Amino acid sequence: MKKILPITNAIIAVISGLFVLLGYFFPGVFGGIQSTLIGWAIILAAIALLLGIFNLAMVHWKKIGSDGLGKINSIALLVSLIITIIVVSISGPTGSWSLWIFNSFQVPVEVSLLAVLALILVYAGARLLARRPKWNTILFLVTVLVVLLGSVPLFFVGEITPLSIVRGWLAQVPAIAGARGLLLGVALGTVATGLRILIGVDRPYGG
Amino acid sequence: MTDVICPLCGKPNPPELDECMYCQAPLKTGGFIAPPEGEADLRSSLSSSDKAGEAENQATEPGASSDLEQNIPDWLKQTEANFLDQSEVKPEESFPDEFSEQLDSLLSPPSTPPSPKENAIDDAWLASLLDEAGVGEPAPPSLQGEIVEEHEPEPEIYKLDSESLVEGSTEEEQLSPAQPAEKPDWLKNLEASSTIKLEGELFSSETEQKEAAGNDIAEEKGQAQPPLPEWIAKTGSEENPPSPQEPEQPIAPAELPNWLEALRPTETVSPTGPVEDLTGAEIVSSGPLVGLRGVISAHPSAIRAQKPPTYSIKLRVTDEQQARVEMMKELLADEEKPKPLPSQPIITSRNIFRLIVAVVLLLPMVWMIISGSQQTSTPQPGNIPGVVDFTQQIQMLPSGAPVLMAFDYEAGFSGELNIAITSVLIQLMNKNVYLTLVATTPSGPALAESLIKNASSSLAGTPRSYSNYADLGYVPGGTMGLLGLAKSPRSILPYSLESDNVWAGAPLNAVASIKDFSAVIVLTNDPDTARIWIEQAGPLLQEAATPLLMVTSSLAEPLIRPYYETTPAQVQGLIAGLAGGIAYGRTVGNIQQNGIWDAFSMGVTVSFLIILIGSIAGVVSKMSAASKKKEN
Repeated sequence: MKKILPITNAIIAVISGLFVLLGYFFPGVFGGIQSTLIGWAIILAAIALLLGIFNLAMVHWKKIGSDGLGKINSIALLVSLIITIIVVSISGPTGSWSLWIFNSFQVPVEVSLLAVLALILVYAGARLLARRPKWNTILFLVTVLVVLLGSVPLFFVGEITPLSIVRGWLAQVPAIAGARGLLLGVALGTVATGLRILIGVDRPYGG
Repeated sequence: MTDVICPLCGKPNPPELDECMYCQAPLKTGGFIAPPEGEADLRSSLSSSDKAGEAENQATEPGASSDLEQNIPDWLKQTEANFLDQSEVKPEESFPDEFSEQLDSLLSPPSTPPSPKENAIDDAWLASLLDEAGVGEPAPPSLQGEIVEEHEPEPEIYKLDSESLVEGSTEEEQLSPAQPAEKPDWLKNLEASSTIKLEGELFSSETEQKEAAGNDIAEEKGQAQPPLPEWIAKTGSEENPPSPQEPEQPIAPAELPNWLEALRPTETVSPTGPVEDLTGAEIVSSGPLVGLRGVISAHPSAIRAQKPPTYSIKLRVTDEQQARVEMMKELLADEEKPKPLPSQPIITSRNIFRLIVAVVLLLPMVWMIISGSQQTSTPQPGNIPGVVDFTQQIQMLPSGAPVLMAFDYEAGFSGELNIAITSVLIQLMNKNVYLTLVATTPSGPALAESLIKNASSSLAGTPRSYSNYADLGYVPGGTMGLLGLAKSPRSILPYSLESDNVWAGAPLNAVASIKDFSAVIVLTNDPDTARIWIEQAGPLLQEAATPLLMVTSSLAEPLIRPYYETTPAQVQGLIAGLAGGIAYGRTVGNIQQNGIWDAFSMGVTVSFLIILIGSIAGVVSKMSAASKKKEN
């Protein structure tokens, strides 16, 4: 049984992957099988999300029994989870109470986090040269300042056209070149990984 | 009897044999005589003989002889007297020489072949017995002379063990006085047998005759002799255990035919190699090599598996070592205890600088929003790539057409994206298109619902509820979910969040694939999500020339913009960031200035100044510190 199950898993994974892959090349022949398999995968992903939520609740439930400040955070998380589930179950996912919870808690919290991030980045930029006075640091700071000045018309100054042009060039040439290079590497790695899974060399599902 | 050990097979053989009766190897040339079993007894007898000699010397002294004579029993005295009467030989004349010869023959290895005259044993025994008795009288000259005559060339006779001596002594003791003049029958038989042996008779017949003679003697002894005293009978019984090395019945050598004798190698008869003297080696008493000398014993005790020794595992720790162990335990116990972080002072230069940065950055922005400032010029739609095309694509949509909107951005980016999304929604609502809302993030459906309600509340200045839409909810599975949605949205999301089968009614009943929508608008802050949409849904949309429009954040704009600028474009319209949203609002006539743009401009300006001033201050402080170091 210990040998049969891994082989069965590998066969299922390879055949499923081949059908999905062939669905791209021959949509008329394998399109139906591809859609069916993708539908199953989506259902499994939804179940995985539910399991993740359940696991999160169990972890914090265990933390309640421990000592320290984490206990309070765990209690807050579990209480929030329970209340949200109850409210959304009663009011519906798009009900007024559900939207009130979302707009009153989740949106401000996430926006605040991004605002704090902006503040921290400014502070770090101000201290960067003092902590690491090197040429690459200076280059980095100069690039940041140029992009900032070229993105928005400055208050009391207005738009500085040369800086806007420089900012556009920096964003579209050096930045995109680096990002595309990364994406190409990721794509090649993805292709290699997909092939290894298709031929059964890599078995992330175990076996 | 003394056996001769075969040098080849190591088995004992009777001394009379010239060849080993087991392996036919010659015994006389290279063989050796095994020490008799009663070697110690023989040596003791020899020592006793020496003592007897000493006693004989002492017999010349009257006092000593009188003491010894007192110890001699009467029957022995009578026997001695009869014997002395019948013999005329003086003991002093021949016995010492005879005894020395016997001693020499005992100590020297055998060099001559055994003589068939075995019956001389009895006479020699008698002499030694008399010596032991301390009589000091030698054997009768006549008898002694016979002994010397008959047994002088026979060294084997001195290799008799003590048992045969004792046995013979009891026989001779009682025979000699009864037959003084003529030879007894047994002696005649012995002589006859020796004569026969000399003439080539078999050893077996001699042995048989000897045994027969012994039996006759025993019979005569029982008839003619008085019973032995108890002490000598006891001695005889004690010193006469059954000998394990009794000569076996010899096997008569086969008469080989002449031709076989001719073939017989002569080299094997006389081995030339030296034979090791193993007289001092121990005899193997058990195992397959039993009876052999000089070999490794195969006794089970020698190969017996022994239980391995056990050692105590208890450590012997000194006090100092114990103290160190305790110290180590304490250190390890302290490691497990959580150590409180060192309390830092709240008011530090770093915290003050952080506070200053926050205040300087936030206060102007808050002021701009509160005051609703509009001093900064708003971006022009023509200066923002993609805005004009986006606007045109929306305006080209027919009334009531199904439009798919994907809310795939996080709530934290709502401040940047909501301006553009709200403008787009208002424009779509004004066109009365059928909005189909989906999301690939868990918070997407709630965002979509909130924005729909906000947008519908500001439609054309007259708030009304917009109901021409369907919220299909969340699509799990990431890339896989997007692919499934693009291929068959009906099967992936069959019901709306209100549990309505929206696919059964118009206009979604005509939608079987994503390409059947009139337009697809993706709202995302993540460049990867935008790329997945382009890669998975783009080919299907391009087949039906369905426009793919995107509203993204400033962060994702550099990566998505190439899809818009390519030919043919994979993204037909693009609104990026706050600037794009404001530009699009100006295009559609929905200007939502209310100080946000000025606040944004103020924030960027202040951030620039903070970074610039902070960097200059840092460099100056470093330089001053370096100059101080140089001065010091």
